[in-house]
Amino acid sequence: MSTPYPLALQVNGAEHRLEAALGDTLLTVLRDALALTGAKRGCNQGVCGACTVLADGEPVRACLTLAHECAGREIVTIEGAAGRAQALQEAFVETGAVQCGFCSPGMILTAAAMLERTPRPSADEVRAGLSGNLCRCSGYRKIVDAVLRAAETGAP
Amino acid sequence: MSALARLHRPATVEEAVRLLAGGDGERTRLLAGGATLVAMLNAGLVDPAELVSLAAVDELRGIGTLPDGGLRIGAMTRHRETAADVRLAGTLAVLREAAARIANPVVRNMGTIGGSISFADPAADYPPALVAADAAVEIAGPQGRRRVPAREFFVDWYATALGPNEMVTAILLAPRAPGLGSYDKLYRVAGDYAIVSVALSVAWRDGACARAGLAVGGCGPRPLHLDEADELLRAGRLGAQAARRAGELLAAAADPLDDVRASAAYRRRVIPRMVERALAAARDELSRTA
Amino acid sequence: MLHGALLGSPHAHARIKSYDVSAARAAPGVHCVLTGEDFGDHRMGAFIKDEHAIAKGKVRYVGEPVAAVAAETEAQARAAARLVEVEYEELPAVLTPEEALAPGAALVHAELASYFKVFEAVCGGNVCSRTELAEGDVEQGFRESDLVVEGRYRTQPQAHVSLEPCGALAEVDAAGRVTLWSANQSVFRVQANVCESLGLPMSRLRCLTPRVGAGFGNKMEAHVQPIVVKLALATGRPVKLVLSREEDFEIVRARHPFDLRVRTGVKRDGTFVAREVEVLLDGGAYADDSPGVLGYSLLMARGPYRIPHARCRGTLVYTNKLRFGAFRGFGNPQVSFATETQIDEIAAQLGIDPVEIRRKNALGADDRWFGGQALASNGLRECIDVAERESGWPARGAIRAAPGKRRAMGFACTAHIGGLLGTGAIVRMLEDGTVVLNTGAVDIGQGSDTVLTQIVAEALRLPLEQVSVASPDTDGSPYNWGTTASRVTYTTGRAVLAAAREVERQAKAHAAEMLECAEADLELLPGGVVGVKGVPGKTLPFVAISARAHWRKGGPIVGTHTWVFDQPTVDPKRAVAVGLPFPQIGVYSFGALAVEVEVDETTGKVAVLRAWTVADVGRAINRAAVEGQLEGAFAQGLGFALAEELVFDGPRLVNPTLMDYKVPTSLEVPYALHAHIVEHAEPDGPFGAKGVGEIGINVVAAAIANAVAAATGARLRELPLTAERVLGGLLQREAEAG
Ligand SMILES: Cc1cc2nc3c(=O)[nH]c(=O)nc-3n(C[C@H](O)[C@H](O)[C@H](O)COP(=O)(O)OP(=O)(O)OC[C@H]3O[C@@H](n4cnc5c(N)ncnc54)[C@H](O)[C@@H]3O)c2cc1C
Ligand code: FES
Ligand code: FES
Repeated sequence: MSTPYPLALQVNGAEHRLEAALGDTLLTVLRDALALTGAKRGCNQGVCGACTVLADGEPVRACLTLAHECAGREIVTIEGAAGRAQALQEAFVETGAVQCGFCSPGMILTAAAMLERTPRPSADEVRAGLSGNLCRCSGYRKIVDAVLRAAETGAP
Repeated sequence: MSALARLHRPATVEEAVRLLAGGDGERTRLLAGGATLVAMLNAGLVDPAELVSLAAVDELRGIGTLPDGGLRIGAMTRHRETAADVRLAGTLAVLREAAARIANPVVRNMGTIGGSISFADPAADYPPALVAADAAVEIAGPQGRRRVPAREFFVDWYATALGPNEMVTAILLAPRAPGLGSYDKLYRVAGDYAIVSVALSVAWRDGACARAGLAVGGCGPRPLHLDEADELLRAGRLGAQAARRAGELLAAAADPLDDVRASAAYRRRVIPRMVERALAAARDELSRTA
Repeated sequence: MLHGALLGSPHAHARIKSYDVSAARAAPGVHCVLTGEDFGDHRMGAFIKDEHAIAKGKVRYVGEPVAAVAAETEAQARAAARLVEVEYEELPAVLTPEEALAPGAALVHAELASYFKVFEAVCGGNVCSRTELAEGDVEQGFRESDLVVEGRYRTQPQAHVSLEPCGALAEVDAAGRVTLWSANQSVFRVQANVCESLGLPMSRLRCLTPRVGAGFGNKMEAHVQPIVVKLALATGRPVKLVLSREEDFEIVRARHPFDLRVRTGVKRDGTFVAREVEVLLDGGAYADDSPGVLGYSLLMARGPYRIPHARCRGTLVYTNKLRFGAFRGFGNPQVSFATETQIDEIAAQLGIDPVEIRRKNALGADDRWFGGQALASNGLRECIDVAERESGWPARGAIRAAPGKRRAMGFACTAHIGGLLGTGAIVRMLEDGTVVLNTGAVDIGQGSDTVLTQIVAEALRLPLEQVSVASPDTDGSPYNWGTTASRVTYTTGRAVLAAAREVERQAKAHAAEMLECAEADLELLPGGVVGVKGVPGKTLPFVAISARAHWRKGGPIVGTHTWVFDQPTVDPKRAVAVGLPFPQIGVYSFGALAVEVEVDETTGKVAVLRAWTVADVGRAINRAAVEGQLEGAFAQGLGFALAEELVFDGPRLVNPTLMDYKVPTSLEVPYALHAHIVEHAEPDGPFGAKGVGEIGINVVAAAIANAVAAATGARLRELPLTAERVLGGLLQREAEAG
């Protein structure tokens, strides 16, 4: 039952060797084993987006991803934010897009991947791109503005 | 507490099927994108002893063109890839539009077509689209491969034609024909499953409908489809009268439930309205472009 | 550290006959299993002390915690909790207020009469509280009216869905004193609730708050904190318990469903004359903040208008459901949905523009609020003007919709208090001249840490970086009732400003002695410097003053201030109030909202295309934060208006997941969401500020319903305005039109 198995994970540019049960999600391992609590657990069901991290540059729900399925993939969490993600962090602060901040890590990483694909999005493209990340504090407007602002300042 | 004791990563379909058959029936599960299965694991709704991950099976990945010009969508193709594939045009655009309306961008980056149709949520977006496009499902099992028309694949609430130890390997699509495909989804908020969805695929030749596929999602145990309704549309110009009749037929045949998204009565009420709108839009579009 | 888990009741109402915890206790990793038998007969409650820390003797709603486990891992704790066996004797359940009020109904709290109540509650049977507020002579008012419009309205239960689920972590030290970290809106309410429900002296519990993933009322009163403290005390180990999203839906609290009857009488020219309101609230199984919500909703039921004759009455009823409690707006969104849509009906019947009729009746500078409280600042008319102008309201007739769609605009007005209860602040100058502020106010994401820092920085002319905020701590912070009732900027801000002024006074006293001049000749200069007026160069930096105070003379500089809002809500010469649970409440902010919606004729689905949300907040100390509150409140109101609803099938909540309970995404909330700030300074507010946390949600549903009515002709009196309801209304109108 829940026997731990060894696992090597690439997270934020560093390799971590740890043990995880086969049913452990990436979110559980990041938060509990690696103390990377930037990825939040808002629902554990894939809906809220607060746990979103990047796997090989693409956003995924850490709560829907088994940790052992991540061997060999490059995981980036908000703690490893660099480049675009960092520019987004700054834009979020400057725009007032952070209220409680619980949604912010997932928002920022989702937006970072979106800007990679669409460097100059329209406001509506940003709204669509972030539609899987819930924010209960804001009216989203300042979040959209922050992403547009980060896009304007261009690539890192 | 999870009883999960094995996580397999086969490289071929045959190996995956062997692992399924070698396992302990219901306790062995395929793992595709995980968007549904891992959520169920988290909630303690399933408790598999073994998982067979399909992530490393190359054959299941991506969309390929078949010798006859048709398309083969591997079971592990993500919704995002399907939503972006320009080969899904004409009559096949219904599939691309449906893929683009599933969940949200992040979930579309995880979920797969194989996982979606195998789970067969009656409110999911692919099932009616595949039925409208008259796709076929390729299945692998201990006895080898077989094909089942999408119209026979979906059997009941969360039930498919997959037999024990069988898996979906691909979706097969006949070559696209000139015409159009459309997918209209009514939902509570963006990213939710459909209250009602209408999938339409119309082949258009010489200013008239040569073939029509019309299916409704979210309104019963399986995608709602009637040969009679398709037949009504064929050979005509998707006129208002035929559209009304098709909508009425589908509404009468629907078997929806009351659920948190809407009542059954509302669904019956909206089906003909959405069907008529889809057909009117198609008529406008086709007469403009043809 | 151990992990906690709960077992919930499968029944809505049952007597607990016995427990068998042997299997759970023997399960792997388990350190302790607690049931109601392990808890003393102590009850907590903000208004009526009716709630044990865990079910004891009886269960009163499905999901109510009946047993708690602490184990090595969360998975072990959850598995063991399921092994606890409870033998129940099922009792008849009352699931709606009507059932609860029926003769012979089963009693949710048979011992209600014996419970301690903090106000003069009018209660009995399943009636938790009855409240009435009246001014003038309502019968006479209706006789004088040319037109009387009445309607019945219903609103649905809404879930808070703060993105972080509720959780707590408790640790016991060697002396048996407990430290508790939890997601909350008030460390002091946590302390009071835990100590009341466990029978602990308050001095034995220290409560702290780390960053909180938002709270909209759900984290104000207790959730799992008492149980987690008890687990820690029982095991002697730190114990952490974070609710799953499902549990958070099922066992915390939600917005009250209201059943309202509203009658308004007016003159032919649109002058409001009389208003009668009768509300029935489902309070759920425990009183929680419900008596406050009932009283407040009645106080708001006359709206920000002059209506000389008004009588508002309400009944709050216990049922065997999840407790309903505080949620942003505190009853105002529900009552405003009824009153503000009824005003549109009146305007339509009289052929008066909806904005005009509101402007005509709006409370002016010399008017008083319902009950008699004077309004020291009132920017309502300016809010109306701004919303009207910015939205292009007068030109709305030119709005065109695409084929198959209808478009129209809607308007509504509101007001809200900010204030209530005790608050304090401690401003300390450190040895290096920088400053630390300690208030005990929890920043739940609304930005109060920033705003309170700004107040100190402004008062002491320090750069923001030289002011820090101490985290709330019941050991070290002055009392603060909580982050609720739109109160922190106004009440705590006032305490902070007074404490900062005290620091200024002490610093100047030192400087006067050091510079050998009169205190009155000194002024604060930017950057933490005291200088002699008109004598450049004759200055002292805070560091020099603070060093003197710390090491040589007078003692360290600490400014403190505490106060409690004490203006009466009701003037007995003007109004009659019965069962109103808050004798003093706060100062008033005002607001107006215009929205433009599009209705899909095929399905009835409503989209909000644009919105202009305007509020008079006294003085906006931090504009971005004010806009954030108005925009966020709008989004939450949009969910309430169109989609959100906790659905019960009998006693059971059927949609306790985010898959089934839907909140608005970035695609539902319009990007064209314009927040406009109006500033009518509150004379005694800090720099003129008053509250903004809730006002933005109050009339979102009403304005949207008014827009939908303008677009479709269908007047819907039940929320949410689902596609199903709107299409129903639209088709009915078409049928009536033939
Ligand atoms: C927040 C959220 C919102 C969603 N919204 C929508 C929506 O609006 N519309 C919609 O259509 N869907 C929606 N989905 C479902 C999602 O799009 C996925 O399609 C779905 O979760 C299944 O795909 P998967 O690849 O993740 O499968 P998995 O979760 O990995 O597997 C699902 C099931 O299928 C089985 N399975 C997987 N692959 C195969 C195979 N090749 N052969 C046989 N059996 C197999 C598994 O054993 C499992 O039982 C949503 C999901 C989430 C999390
Ligand atoms: S926790 Fe993963 S999406 Fe909510
Ligand atoms: S800032 Fe609180 S959820 Fe987005």
